[in-house]
Amino acid sequence: MDKERLLWIYRKMQEIRKFEEKALELFEADKLRGSVHLYIGEEAIAATVCSLLKDTDYITSTHRGHGHCIAKGAELAPALAELMGKATGYCQGRGGSMHIADVTKGNLGANAIVGGGIPIAVGGALAAKLRGTDQVAVSFFGDGASNEGTAHESMNLASVWKLPVIFICENNGFGISTPVKQSTSVEDISVRSAAYDMPGYTVDGNDVLAINEVVTKAIERARKGEGPTLIECKTYRWLGHWTGDPQVYRTKEEVDAWKEKCPIKRLRNHLLENKISTEEEIQKIDEEVIAAVEYAEKFALESPEPDPSTAMDYVFYEN
Amino acid sequence: MATKVIMPKQGLLMTEGYITKWLVPEGGKTVKGEPLFEMETDKLTITIEAPETGTLLKIIRGEDETVPITETIAIIGEEGEDISALLNETEESEVVEEKETTVISKDETSEKLVVTRKETDRIFITPRAKMRASEMNIDYTEINGSGPDGLIIERDVLSFEKHKVKTTPVAEKMIKENNLKAEDIKGSGIRGRITKQDVEGIISGVGRTSDRKGEIVPFRGMRKVISDRMMESIHGTAQANHRMRVDVSELIRLRNQLKESGLKVSYNDILVKIVSKALIEFPYMNSSLTEEGILLKDYVNMGLAVSVPNGLIVPNIKDADLMSLAEIAAHSSDLIQKALDGNLSQEEYSNGTFTISNLGMYDIDEFTAILNPPESGILAVGKIEKTPVAEGDNIVLKPMMTLSLTYDHRIIDGALAAQFLQRIKQLIMCPYLLL
Amino acid sequence: MSRKSYAIAIRDVLAEEMRRDDRVFVMGEDIAEQGGIYGCTRGLLEEFGPDRVRNTPISEAAFVGAGVGAALAGMRPVVELMYMDFAFVAADQILNQAAKIRYMYGGKATLPLVIRGQQGVGRGNAATHSQSIEAIFMHIPGLKVVMPSTPADAAGLLRTALRDNNPIMFFEHKILYNTKGEVPDDPDFMIPFGKANIVKEGKDATVIATSQYVGRAEKVAKQLEKEGISVEVIDPRTLVPFDTETVVNSVKKTGRAVVVHEAHKCGGVGAEIASIIMEEAFNYLDAPVIRLGAKSCPLPFNLGLENAVVPQEDDIEKAVKSVLYK
Repeated sequence: MDKERLLWIYRKMQEIRKFEEKALELFEADKLRGSVHLYIGEEAIAATVCSLLKDTDYITSTHRGHGHCIAKGAELAPALAELMGKATGYCQGRGGSMHIADVTKGNLGANAIVGGGIPIAVGGALAAKLRGTDQVAVSFFGDGASNEGTAHESMNLASVWKLPVIFICENNGFGISTPVKQSTSVEDISVRSAAYDMPGYTVDGNDVLAINEVVTKAIERARKGEGPTLIECKTYRWLGHWTGDPQVYRTKEEVDAWKEKCPIKRLRNHLLENKISTEEEIQKIDEEVIAAVEYAEKFALESPEPDPSTAMDYVFYEN
Repeated sequence: MATKVIMPKQGLLMTEGYITKWLVPEGGKTVKGEPLFEMETDKLTITIEAPETGTLLKIIRGEDETVPITETIAIIGEEGEDISALLNETEESEVVEEKETTVISKDETSEKLVVTRKETDRIFITPRAKMRASEMNIDYTEINGSGPDGLIIERDVLSFEKHKVKTTPVAEKMIKENNLKAEDIKGSGIRGRITKQDVEGIISGVGRTSDRKGEIVPFRGMRKVISDRMMESIHGTAQANHRMRVDVSELIRLRNQLKESGLKVSYNDILVKIVSKALIEFPYMNSSLTEEGILLKDYVNMGLAVSVPNGLIVPNIKDADLMSLAEIAAHSSDLIQKALDGNLSQEEYSNGTFTISNLGMYDIDEFTAILNPPESGILAVGKIEKTPVAEGDNIVLKPMMTLSLTYDHRIIDGALAAQFLQRIKQLIMCPYLLL
Repeated sequence: MSRKSYAIAIRDVLAEEMRRDDRVFVMGEDIAEQGGIYGCTRGLLEEFGPDRVRNTPISEAAFVGAGVGAALAGMRPVVELMYMDFAFVAADQILNQAAKIRYMYGGKATLPLVIRGQQGVGRGNAATHSQSIEAIFMHIPGLKVVMPSTPADAAGLLRTALRDNNPIMFFEHKILYNTKGEVPDDPDFMIPFGKANIVKEGKDATVIATSQYVGRAEKVAKQLEKEGISVEVIDPRTLVPFDTETVVNSVKKTGRAVVVHEAHKCGGVGAEIASIIMEEAFNYLDAPVIRLGAKSCPLPFNLGLENAVVPQEDDIEKAVKSVLYK
């Protein structure tokens, strides 16, 4: 992987991390309402996968979607404004954290229904196939969604129709409070690919290089028209399911152990140890990211609320 | 302390009364025992007196309303007295005992539609009908609804408007100023509207001759009862008629003698006495056909047909056959007066056995009366007139009168009726036989 | 004009629009070689090939969802549900996704998706295959709801649907497929959404009917005409958007309204229409609005039982007379 892409991934991971830390801060200051599901600890997956995609490729995301959205090219300011429900937000305050989308960047949307986005990604891939382009569609979903009927129906359908879909299962260990072991029949979710006659991989979801390797293969296969791939990225959700989750289902020790495996720190070490980049260079990125987040915060806070008289706008496309 | 005025029961069978006129306006003074309102029942037109002296605080049921007996129709009290509690009580009790009455309303499609409206204070009207009424400036409370439970619907409003008397504003003012009734004036304007010219015509006594279409008088109350009874009579019996001319010289002489002796009786009173005696002798003439058979009555309740302003009523002198002429005269004049005043009780016009109808005072020579069921005979009496008649071979002038007997041929054959009439003639020509 | 059946009218419009616009494609269960169980896609495979005429696995959530994704990604998919009852299997994709995406994304997404299929009684399919479920989709904002009652309406409304940029629920009726009628040949023949059809003019009462009940209401109206009762029959044709104006104007004229549909009366479209009338034309009403719809009972298999549950022509006649107080 070239330096430029590695630094891009690093920058995106930092953007996601700082953006979410800011979101959490704003939430705790009561300046942001609703459910905010944070992706902190899982940044490597979104950043690495999206580093391999073009703007014309599609993704579908989840309720924990800020990372995918930012990695797929969203700007921080309108993204944070959307989290605050502002008129300048990506969805003009109609979607919020769980429904953030930027279709112009190929993001077909975050999806607050678990498993809801998976068939939509299949549809994006179907459109690509019908048009005969080399576009691919990535469906991000969690370990919980892997037990939804849509996951299985979609994998079957994509396989039958040989559609260019990459199913990325982010296994962060819990469906809200329920550990994967209690809810899922298999240790490695990737083995389910066998049922749909497609390749399946399980990788360390905090390892940018490992993710890069399998996703590259999967995208290649998809662009060649050979069909879908299932990739399970094992990772960990550092924070609660939502802000305010009492987290009775795990110990502090367990969380601290995973924090040791921080994907950002890991990539930073890799960049420094292998002399791909310098402290100064990384420091500069960090500062730029912090500045960008601060700008986003200012932008979001100063942005106007949507005009209540526009509440009915956008229900339908006016032909 | 306010007093409720109720629809009073007048007569055993009365269930409701029709208020024809309030004689004291709302807010006017009432005096106990003085006339308060006029009403009609199926039998009577009657003036009801105020039960209390005071102010007529509220008229709850207006003119032209049919009200079940005992229902509150007005409240009398002291001026300014708070009667809201009494009014509420009235509303409540009326809601509880909803009485169905029949009202008649005209409809565009069917000539007459009989519907029922629950007699509550609340009037139900559809929004559309209400809107129409408002557009047409009609007070919908005057409309009878033809929908379920008297619900006023659009067609009721349209029909009401069609039948309503319309006046131009000038005409309306003139009608008021001259104390006229719009209902009495024929409109010659567009769609029958009463114009200034129409009112001027009435005032100047020169009614317009064009466009005279007559007027509709409500067919109800006594009129309706008479109609029903006459139809029942004609269709339910086999009526035949005999006539006989009678020399009444002796009758006149008897009356004059009685008068001289201080007893004032009418010819009719004497006829009552005579016919009563004959009826006892001819029980079939004093009978009724019942389900069990022919009921021969051994008493005479002699009916007297009395013409009253809005119809006819037949009170009867109970046990007339047992009465002296003086008693008959007294009872007769009392009943006639009560009839004219509309004050008869139901008992007084029930259970007659035979009727005498006398139109002599109207110069009628002779006429045919119709039976008053369930009676089997009625005697129609004409005027007394000096007539040239043969006496031996001479023509002399004698006071003569024609008796016309209508009888029910189902019970009475011609010969029997003839004998009965002969007997009456005999008694008239020789009233001393009464002794 | 050509005389054709309701099913063929649908098939022909699909074919014409697929010829006209490469983005249009159809998918659903047994629609390719089989041509759909009611023949609405018959012959399309031969002309357009398996890419654009796709047989799907029996995975309603996946293929309806794929329709949503394809529409978001710039295609114009037509998804056939073999029975509209199966929409419940894909309910999340229709009600949570298709209906809401444009709004949730602040107007930045366009979702030209037609979900079409048949519903209703008449073929002895019993409770899970005979329902009329349009009210549910009318209830959720973001979906247009179309219910053609004649071959011409099916053609004109389907073409409008295929050229619309919104998710559309297109409710056909199984017993209407074989009904025949004149259909304009104009390749651009379209019936605008939100424009009710005054099927028959009248002045005494308004009957608002949908789908197969339009024809039945018209029959009753003709019958009543002999008795001197003049009934106006209105087919809204689309429930979303709904032509409030035509319905309200009619009721303002007649003062009386009966709403009749096959779907369950409880919580049905008739309740919505009756409420609209009450809100918009209350002062003009001369009688309460009457709703006729199926009883609150799953649709039975037996024909006699089925007829006992859904409104009959006799019920329509009685309802009209009742609002006329006859």
